Amino acid sequence: MSEELDIALAILDHQLLDVEGRRCGNVDDLAIEGGPGEDARVIAILSGPGVWRNRGRLLGRFAGWVGGGGRVRVPWEEVAEVESHVRLRRKASEYGLGRGDDRLRPWIERIPGANR
Amino acid sequence: MKIFQIALGILAAIGGFVDIGDLVFNMAAGAAFGYQLLWVVVIGVVGIAVYSEMCGRVAAVSGKAVFDTVRERVGFKAGLVTLIAAQVVNLMTLAAEVGGVAICMRLLSGLPYRWLILVAIVALGIVVWVVSFDWIERIFGYGGLCLLVFAVAAVKLHPDWGAVAHGFVPHLNTEDSLLYVYFAVGLLGAAMTPYEVYFYSSGGVEERWTPKDLGLNKANAMIGYGLGGFLSFALMIVGGTLFLAQGIEPETLGTIALGAQVPLGEIGLLLALVGILFAVGGASIDTLFAGAYNLAQFLGWEWGRYRTNAGAPRFTVTWMVILVLALGIVMTGVDPVQLTEYAVIFSVVALPLTYLPILLVANDRSYMGRYVNGRLANTLGIVYFVIILAVALTAIPLMILTNVGQG
Repeated sequence: MSEELDIALAILDHQLLDVEGRRCGNVDDLAIEGGPGEDARVIAILSGPGVWRNRGRLLGRFAGWVGGGGRVRVPWEEVAEVESHVRLRRKASEYGLGRGDDRLRPWIERIPGANR
Repeated sequence: MKIFQIALGILAAIGGFVDIGDLVFNMAAGAAFGYQLLWVVVIGVVGIAVYSEMCGRVAAVSGKAVFDTVRERVGFKAGLVTLIAAQVVNLMTLAAEVGGVAICMRLLSGLPYRWLILVAIVALGIVVWVVSFDWIERIFGYGGLCLLVFAVAAVKLHPDWGAVAHGFVPHLNTEDSLLYVYFAVGLLGAAMTPYEVYFYSSGGVEERWTPKDLGLNKANAMIGYGLGGFLSFALMIVGGTLFLAQGIEPETLGTIALGAQVPLGEIGLLLALVGILFAVGGASIDTLFAGAYNLAQFLGWEWGRYRTNAGAPRFTVTWMVILVLALGIVMTGVDPVQLTEYAVIFSVVALPLTYLPILLVANDRSYMGRYVNGRLANTLGIVYFVIILAVALTAIPLMILTNVGQG
């Protein structure tokens, strides 16, 4: 097993942060490449409710359905740093991450004091 | 200046320790068994202090709150089960606390209960929307200090101090051992309610703790919760001195406030009601935030009052939804004191899955570096985990066997 794969498995279920430090999802699953006998290699991080069905059987499928089923694929090259969180190289919106927050924000901003 | 700040933090922790669960279980345990269960409160308070210190340290060093660690350590599936259990218990607790706020307001104003529930919900929503995290902690923490009136009341009632001292020695009761154990479990549950660690650890992130704040964390957890436990003793002593002899079961918050009125008169009653109002109001906000923190952390959303309301939209909407759900529950007319008993007993069942990930992460050198658990924290952490596990397994059977403490 390659060292990269060790790191990758250790970040499963960790918080994703974008370049500005915004929380923008979790590492819900990993895309791994390589057949039997070859070196396994992580090619992407998968995030979003659409990925949960692979994780929790019936309960995961139900949670994924409630969450709307969206999924985002972030290529492994976009990972800038792995510490206690996983830091990405660009802004969340460029990957399509954190869309739920972006959609709700205009509604919240209509209420006085939203930026307190 | 630094010492001053720490002192203020501790004061807020004392005032913030007691919630409706502590009020109900301590007073009722006193009324049923006198001072015999005081030793259980000591065990509970040391337990919450140990785990709060641990999760506060994890938050300061790694920036992770409890449900970040739950997700990482037990995985998606078991984490999701823990999340659902935590949210259900949390919502029950919030509803009970909101009901408590409305009862206090009714006793202070004489207005109708259902209107006051609505007033309480709107007031809590406005406070959370407008007031900063630091000030929320301060306002409710200092207001809760009015509960110290119960300590004065306990002394004024001239308890048999020899019997009080004997209550601190662990022992079993042979006359009604089942009910005794039920109250012991309830007291542990009330002292170690899971929302306290959810809120405490997320609060550490809210206040942007770094390893420099570890001293503050330790002082808050040890002294703040320790002295908060002192209030629990006072409640039980009042219950034991006043209600045991009369054979009264304190079934309402009004009866609990009577505990201060009998020895101290009107001013005692007023201070007790104001103290309960702030303590229970503060706990409402803690549980409300805890629910939103948990969901956001589990799903990786932006969260925290320090982000502004629009800065963490899904977090903001989550606490609004939780507040409305709580309104629905209290409006059904369910008795908040009874709801509290159920919430505390069910919360005990959710404790192991909350505390195990904290213990595991606090032991993980790859995050914690030199701030990893020492021998004392680990010994206590493991001993308490075993206690929690035993209590979690017995809580529901005991509740059924004792008919929710009715004997």
